[in-house]
Amino acid sequence: MKIMHRPKLNWLTFLRMYLRSFLLQSSWNFEKLQNLGFYFMILPGLRDIYGEEVPEDVRERHIDYFNTHPYFATLVAGTTLRLEAGSRVGEEPSVDAETYKSMVMAPFAAMGDALFWGGVRPLAALIGLLIASQGSLWAPVVFLLIFNLPHLFFRGSGLMLGYVQELHAIETVQKCRFPDLAIRLKESTTILIGVLCAYLSFKGCEHQELPAVWGFVILPIVLLFAWLAHKGVSSLFLVVLTTSSLLLLALLF
Amino acid sequence: MSIVLARIDSRLVHGQVLEAWVPYVNADCIVVANNKVAGESFQRMVMQAAVPSSIKLIIGTLEETASILISTDLLRKRVLLLFANSDDALKARQLGVEYPKLNLGNMHSSAGKDRYTCTIALDHQDIEVLQQVEDQGVTIVSQCVPADREQNWHKLIRVGGR
Amino acid sequence: MVAVDYLLAGMISVLTGLDRVALVQIMISRPLVAGPLTGWALGNPLVGLEIGMLLELLWLGRLPVGAAIPPDDTQVAVGATVLAAGTGHFVGLDGMPLVLLSVLIAIPLGKFGQVFDKLARQVNDRLAVSGYNALMSGHTAKMERCHLLGLVSFGLASLATALVIVLVGTFVLFTFAPVLIGAIQEAGLSLQYSLILVGAAVLLGTTNVNRGISLFCTAFIGTLLVLWLR
Repeated sequence: MKIMHRPKLNWLTFLRMYLRSFLLQSSWNFEKLQNLGFYFMILPGLRDIYGEEVPEDVRERHIDYFNTHPYFATLVAGTTLRLEAGSRVGEEPSVDAETYKSMVMAPFAAMGDALFWGGVRPLAALIGLLIASQGSLWAPVVFLLIFNLPHLFFRGSGLMLGYVQELHAIETVQKCRFPDLAIRLKESTTILIGVLCAYLSFKGCEHQELPAVWGFVILPIVLLFAWLAHKGVSSLFLVVLTTSSLLLLALLF
Repeated sequence: MSIVLARIDSRLVHGQVLEAWVPYVNADCIVVANNKVAGESFQRMVMQAAVPSSIKLIIGTLEETASILISTDLLRKRVLLLFANSDDALKARQLGVEYPKLNLGNMHSSAGKDRYTCTIALDHQDIEVLQQVEDQGVTIVSQCVPADREQNWHKLIRVGGR
Repeated sequence: MVAVDYLLAGMISVLTGLDRVALVQIMISRPLVAGPLTGWALGNPLVGLEIGMLLELLWLGRLPVGAAIPPDDTQVAVGATVLAAGTGHFVGLDGMPLVLLSVLIAIPLGKFGQVFDKLARQVNDRLAVSGYNALMSGHTAKMERCHLLGLVSFGLASLATALVIVLVGTFVLFTFAPVLIGAIQEAGLSLQYSLILVGAAVLLGTTNVNRGISLFCTAFIGTLLVLWLR
């Protein structure tokens, strides 16, 4: 049923959807992944648009298979709701809400994985570890801050951006060049891994009362292990290998 | 040109491919061979946004991508080839795209399909089509991410779906 | 109040476990946070921090992507901290050797986490079906309940993993501690550093960027030179 004015979402609805986005994956399942979670998240918005009784076809299309990076889900929700609101006044965008969702979820998942799981998180963890190596309990606090400032901002701004810019939000996303940013972050992480390894090698030599130059011996060993990990050798195996050889050495000498 | 990985993945360009497989096989070019996606400019824009600028992304119909893959255009590229379903994998093969091994990644379930692993659901037609691909000398394996164990697809079929 | 401490540790196990996938995801599930938190509950956050450091990098490169279930490093950290800050004292071990032994015992037991996690997600398959049916027949509130019930299965899976690690771990600790104690004490600090180095190597091997190796080597050599010649 068409109406005259495009329904608007009030700010409280946005706040509720922002909070609900933290429960996106509560019923993660193999069959439809985040489907209940997505509907759960956008429900306040759907109620603003359709009233208490959300039409059957709308329910049907938003409880279907859904899977994207949890931090990008709010962006999808924003655009989806804007498209739904537009459809009530007969707007006909080039891509409808259902198709939009199916098109963006996988690429957004990839971007989120690269940016947050591959980029921000290891970098924050490395900084945390360097602090922890000084025995400071600030390490977890700093780690959480570095990670969550971008995380929490991203969820909120994604929701607004998606709603305000509708399909054009993708152009903003493209301009941000997140995959390239992720690569910069990863490069920074590898530098910090180098710093951490050198520091540990230095401390190790100090402990064994060896001159620090022996620390360079560690470099090829770390590279060898990195290569093994790259080839798919499990962390568990590498831990067992390291432990047993060190224990053996300790027993022999 | 070398195809370092050919994979069936109904989600096409997504995290497992970009974060796990691209570095693992050291690919610097991703080819998405799919007629439907090729015609959707919005979806192509989304996919392009997800791929770093250091990796070349080619999205085209099966015919277009096959002719690019057969030509010398990508001579020095290490190509990761993505199909959305088993039919496309077979058609590409029939169009002359040579890949020695086919990886089954995500083939998500829909009505009438049986689930064989957490991520792979097949129906009779899928199995028939994959059998035809294998008959052309292609090794077919299932492996979601590099850290998982690689498994010949016959093992899955023998165990049966649910 | 020992019972209260363990109750608190159990709650932390559930909360950090939920943070992995089901709830919020502000990364209190990372060992570097989950370890100190559990340690704090048991009155020894520094032991938790040491455990967190040992575990943080080992599976950091394994992404919580799609249906791929990475090893449960959260409960390994929680479980190992309970072993090191709680039950372990009864074997007459202390300090770094106990931390190392706890971590080494907890790591392989983390495999159970993958089993329980998978189980939880299969339970959720059923929730998803009833949630879908509820919504389509107009019972929105019931659909919301189904969705939130997923938290219970994920939470129970985490708790179960932690319990297995602590119970089996305690048994193993009592059995093997007398045998391994000498060697572990001997290897001590070198073993601690080496395990963090293994984690760093794994992360380096799985974080693939084109110039990664040269950036790493430059940073390593530069830092070591500075520390050496300082």
